[in-house]
Amino acid sequence: MMVLKIRDLYLYYQTLRGEVKAVDGVSLDIEPGEALGLVGESGCGKTSMSLGITRLLPKNVETYKGSIELEGVELMTLTNEQYRNDVNWQKISMVFQGAMNSLNPVLKVGPQVAEPLVIHREMKEEQAKVEVLEIFDKVGLPPETYDRYAHELSGGMKQRVVVAMALILNPPFVILDEPTSALDVSIQAQTMNLLKRLKKERDIAMIFITHDIALSSDISDKMAVMYGGHIVEMGSAEQVILSPKHPYTEKLLASTPRLRSYSQPDFIPGAPPDLVNPPTGCNFHPRCHMVMDICRERDPPTCYPEEGQRVECWLYGDKNE
Amino acid sequence: MGFSARDALSEFWTSRTSKMGVALIVILFGISAYVLVSYPLNFGTQYWNKPQHWADYPKGVPPSWTQTFSSVRKPEHMILTTDVSEKRTRGIMTIDFNINFDLRADIFPQFTSFSLSDLTFYDTPPIIHLTLTKPDGSKIEDLLVESVPYPPSGQEPPYVKYVESPLRVYMPGSPAVRNAIAGYLRTEFGSTLTPLEIRNMGLEQFLFGSPDEEGEFTNIVEGTYNLEVQVEIFHEDDTVGSVKFVVGGQVYGFMGTDTLGRDLAVGLLFGFPVALFIGFITSTLTTIVGSVLGITSGYMGGRVDELIQRVCDVLNTLPQLPILIFLVFILGQNIWNIIVVLVFFGWSGLTILIRSMVLQAKQEQFIEASIASGASSRWIMARHIFPQVAPFIFTQMIFFTPGAILAEAALSFLGLGDPTLPTWGQILERGFQTGAIFLGYWWWIIPPGLLIVVTSLCFVFIAQGLEPVVNPRLRRMR
Repeated sequence: MMVLKIRDLYLYYQTLRGEVKAVDGVSLDIEPGEALGLVGESGCGKTSMSLGITRLLPKNVETYKGSIELEGVELMTLTNEQYRNDVNWQKISMVFQGAMNSLNPVLKVGPQVAEPLVIHREMKEEQAKVEVLEIFDKVGLPPETYDRYAHELSGGMKQRVVVAMALILNPPFVILDEPTSALDVSIQAQTMNLLKRLKKERDIAMIFITHDIALSSDISDKMAVMYGGHIVEMGSAEQVILSPKHPYTEKLLASTPRLRSYSQPDFIPGAPPDLVNPPTGCNFHPRCHMVMDICRERDPPTCYPEEGQRVECWLYGDKNE
Repeated sequence: MGFSARDALSEFWTSRTSKMGVALIVILFGISAYVLVSYPLNFGTQYWNKPQHWADYPKGVPPSWTQTFSSVRKPEHMILTTDVSEKRTRGIMTIDFNINFDLRADIFPQFTSFSLSDLTFYDTPPIIHLTLTKPDGSKIEDLLVESVPYPPSGQEPPYVKYVESPLRVYMPGSPAVRNAIAGYLRTEFGSTLTPLEIRNMGLEQFLFGSPDEEGEFTNIVEGTYNLEVQVEIFHEDDTVGSVKFVVGGQVYGFMGTDTLGRDLAVGLLFGFPVALFIGFITSTLTTIVGSVLGITSGYMGGRVDELIQRVCDVLNTLPQLPILIFLVFILGQNIWNIIVVLVFFGWSGLTILIRSMVLQAKQEQFIEASIASGASSRWIMARHIFPQVAPFIFTQMIFFTPGAILAEAALSFLGLGDPTLPTWGQILERGFQTGAIFLGYWWWIIPPGLLIVVTSLCFVFIAQGLEPVVNPRLRRMR
């Protein structure tokens, strides 16, 4: 059974300029213990999608529809109260961008990590402390950390605290929203190793959101490339990285600097699409180097050029359909 | 970056203002504790606002320490009580009391009065005789002869009288005393003054003076006086509890008296706990209401926010003092009404401030993280938002305290204080109404005014000392 099954998720915001189509019909599946790397440029809807899954919706949401099934349970029909009591953090937890901002500066770190236990398991603080120290040990934090304030910890330690907080209720599914963006490279490596270890030990399914393809490939079993609110390409990590099918994926990979090659990093001309007035047809056509007439007129079809690889592009579709 | 409770305390303690504030508040609390322990709670109704209780006190006299600065020695007020009696039988039975007192002054005492309490008799009512012996040996025999009235028919002996309120004779007002003095003057000096003339001239000069060359009683006879009280009884089991003789002086106590004879020191002391009580209760309630509504308004947003903020706007726009006067007038002059009204009009400013702080605090990512972890709004407000604004709320609470004390003083000064609880504002108001300023009764006006100012100042000092703790930008570099 799938841990997470998303079908046609739409999330539109209302702004003064008009409707922003942040997530425009996204479908994906994640199996138990599987990590999905979600990559894309800034503003392509990665974070909106994670907010859509966790229902942390901003006030100006206009359209929010589709189907999200978590371990066979449809989430969209739950009331907010049910969602908060039964799903939040128990089933889906989240590691936010920037660990330092995820911790309350005026509270000690330990009780904050224990908070979900107190809220959902109705534990006393002393009981919760035992569990917190256990998970601290798992993520490699010394027990003294319990009584520290956030500002007394290093960036890596804070990141571990936030990861510990996400795992405290042992959820089957975790969303990691750019968990390493604010860290330097050595701490990034540490955190990635920690996440890989935890994923293996605890069999957690995760969505790993980043704009760093190399980092994503390190942990992901599967990768999805997002562009302008659509998932334009999805497949196993090998497929996406070694034989990208969508022109955008190709360009994205080409723009990554290589250590042992003499090739100049390529770049993609133009700017990401305006999601209020997206281009007609394929979102990517103004920047695409393989653009055809049909791309400008009709939405691209969903094609399966290889087993397990999904692409939204006219290159692989039947143009006469 | 790290700022622990100990750092906060030491930061607070470095400034001189906070040390002064703490010293003052310790004194204020000490005095209040003493008053609470030693005063009855119904002090206001039972003593302060009961003229009978102050009958034996001099009216409108300055504190006795003012003597130090004066070249004229004013008589000290003396309340002489004794319950040591002697039963004698010399043909008739008497119960005798002896009171000795020293008089050293350049001015005659204001008045004299005599009281007797706890009388029990079985037969004919007793008769009281007073004899005053001056230091020079001259005696005024039967200065006062007062017979106790017969008990109403139907009562059975023993007759018990003067337990609640004593038998009190105000000497200048008593015809018997005038007559006795006239007789004394006639026999001793051959004077022909009539009792009425004696009353008009003031009988203290004849009691405590001796004539000069022109026959005017201007010299004060200094030395030890003796007052003999003989109670003539007609049954051997009759008893008398105690007698009291008051020599009305022109200075009294530590703080003087007002025109009703009330000891201002006592009233001012009672004002301490009342002022602190009003200050603390009002500021606590105001900050609780203000911060709860402020946090709710800021965090919940939407219609709740709109409603709370509009109510705040209305309350802020209304002129406070007229409304305070109006409401206290309608609700009644009761300390709780005053507090409720002060709280009702006090919270709105704080709510607006707290709301703006919460608007900023709720943008933080850890709030979002907490929402994602399934925490309820109440939990987030209590655990994540409140600690962010708590130091500010705490200083605001201390800042509100003097405001409440001053507001109560203002209401009291306008005559809207709680009549059952004497406060500094009420003492000021009585003084002002009586014209103490024009009469030069400074001891009635300055001390309560100063106390109000000093008490408010004490809280301002503390709040100022706390300011750098709460606002790191004001912290001094060390």
